[in-house]
Amino acid sequence: MEGRIGDDSHLVDRLRQGDPRAFEDLVIAYQHRVFGVALRMLGSQAEAEDLAQEVFVRVHGAVAGFRGDAKLSTWLYTIASRLCLNRLASSDRRMIREGEETLTRLASSHASPAAELERSELEAALHRAIAELPEERRIVVVLRDLEGLSYEEIAAVLELELGTVRSRLHRARMDLREKLERFLP
Amino acid sequence: MTCHDARELFSVLVDEVLGADERGALDAHLETCADCRRELQRFRDTVGLLRAVEPARAPAGFVDRVLEAARPTPWPRRWLRALFLPWPLKLPIEAAAIVLVTVGVVYVFRATPELQRAARLESTKPAVTEAPRAAISEPSSPATPPDRARERQYMEKKIAATPPAARNEAEQRAAGLKDASRDVDKRQDIDKQKEASRPTPRTESQVAGKVEAPPARAEREAGAAKESARLPAAPAPESRADALQAQRPATGSTAAKSLAPPDVSGGLAVSDRDAALRGLAQLLARLGGVENRRVDGHEGPIIELTIPREAYAEFAGELARLGRWQPTMEPAALPAQIRVVLRITR
Repeated sequence: MEGRIGDDSHLVDRLRQGDPRAFEDLVIAYQHRVFGVALRMLGSQAEAEDLAQEVFVRVHGAVAGFRGDAKLSTWLYTIASRLCLNRLASSDRRMIREGEETLTRLASSHASPAAELERSELEAALHRAIAELPEERRIVVVLRDLEGLSYEEIAAVLELELGTVRSRLHRARMDLREKLERFLP
Repeated sequence: MTCHDARELFSVLVDEVLGADERGALDAHLETCADCRRELQRFRDTVGLLRAVEPARAPAGFVDRVLEAARPTPWPRRWLRALFLPWPLKLPIEAAAIVLVTVGVVYVFRATPELQRAARLESTKPAVTEAPRAAISEPSSPATPPDRARERQYMEKKIAATPPAARNEAEQRAAGLKDASRDVDKRQDIDKQKEASRPTPRTESQVAGKVEAPPARAEREAGAAKESARLPAAPAPESRADALQAQRPATGSTAAKSLAPPDVSGGLAVSDRDAALRGLAQLLARLGGVENRRVDGHEGPIIELTIPREAYAEFAGELARLGRWQPTMEPAALPAQIRVVLRITR
């Protein structure tokens, strides 16, 4: 079941009926996706885990009231996206992020061997380029190109107009194209 | 279609959500524009790079930690957490709240003289209630000493049956009763001597609460003054009214009433002070008023008296006849029994 997002209706039914194993199955099924969104948005492993945990705790508290109007995955991405954007908007988080970015730049400019060996130069450049996007563009490109959501799903998750989603996605991709110029064939 | 317009459609083209009309126009532009074709290719490669990113994986043990965090917290821990966490934020706030409340209580206490007086009265109440009652009711109620003895016996029995922790208080009270009883015995002896030296016994003085004859009254005043000298916190009775008041158990309301400010106060300037005092006494007797106390001030006697409200108008008029009556406080709304304080000056 791990990582497979198929028909969630059975899982939703079990959750609403209070099946104690259902919540565990939900966490197993969505842990990597929720964690992935948090990691791409926040850039810190520890903070991403903390936020992903908060997402599931909130889901656990509210699942009885989940009406099933939207897909379970959409609901989870909605909670995760909101929490990420809220945390990024907080003043404490801004200070942390500035510090982290400084460290990232230093590490990359001085070729931190451990980090660069651990993942390829391209991958590091990709992560850095994504991290440098403005938050409202970053969440759209993460949901579309890394998580594979449709335009309509992104619009539902972020409560945006479809045109806004298209525009933000295009701007984000154009930014990335410039940043990744040297890696293109 | 310009190059700019064409490039704006690259995303929807790559995602295959481009409408048929736009798709036709874009294709037509791309056929004629090599730059845009090259740019489109680089755009596709960029999106390809993004989609090739390895999906992130939650760390090992994540599911267990989530299940642990989602488990309902026992209510005592929830309660403690809500009260104290986060420590660095809530503890200083709670400490500050305690300090503020303490400062507030002290400020209110200091700013309210009534509270301070009530506290002083509270601390002196046992002495005030026991001693004067014993001192003044003794001649009029012969049964008092045996009653005291019975009460003392009762207290001693009670102490014996009281747990050690509660015994101190009871012992203190019993000691107080013993002292009071000894005082009663002493006063009884003194009064007996005085009675023996008195030419004719005054029957009025044997009835508590009734108006006493002047000699008996003087003795009462002397006894009460002596008693009050032994009890530093008790107010010194200066008149029969005080003595009579002291005979009654000093309840909070009567004590508070005697301490309350007067309803009317003012100065009465007279040419002959003795004549004015006599006139005032006659006036009170006629109008149903009573003199509560008299203090000799620097400029002349200060008299506190009580007068019924219906007689106050006449009283004020008569005061103007006795001398120059200048009220300093005379509110429009007055109680049924008006407490008047007046200073008689020349």
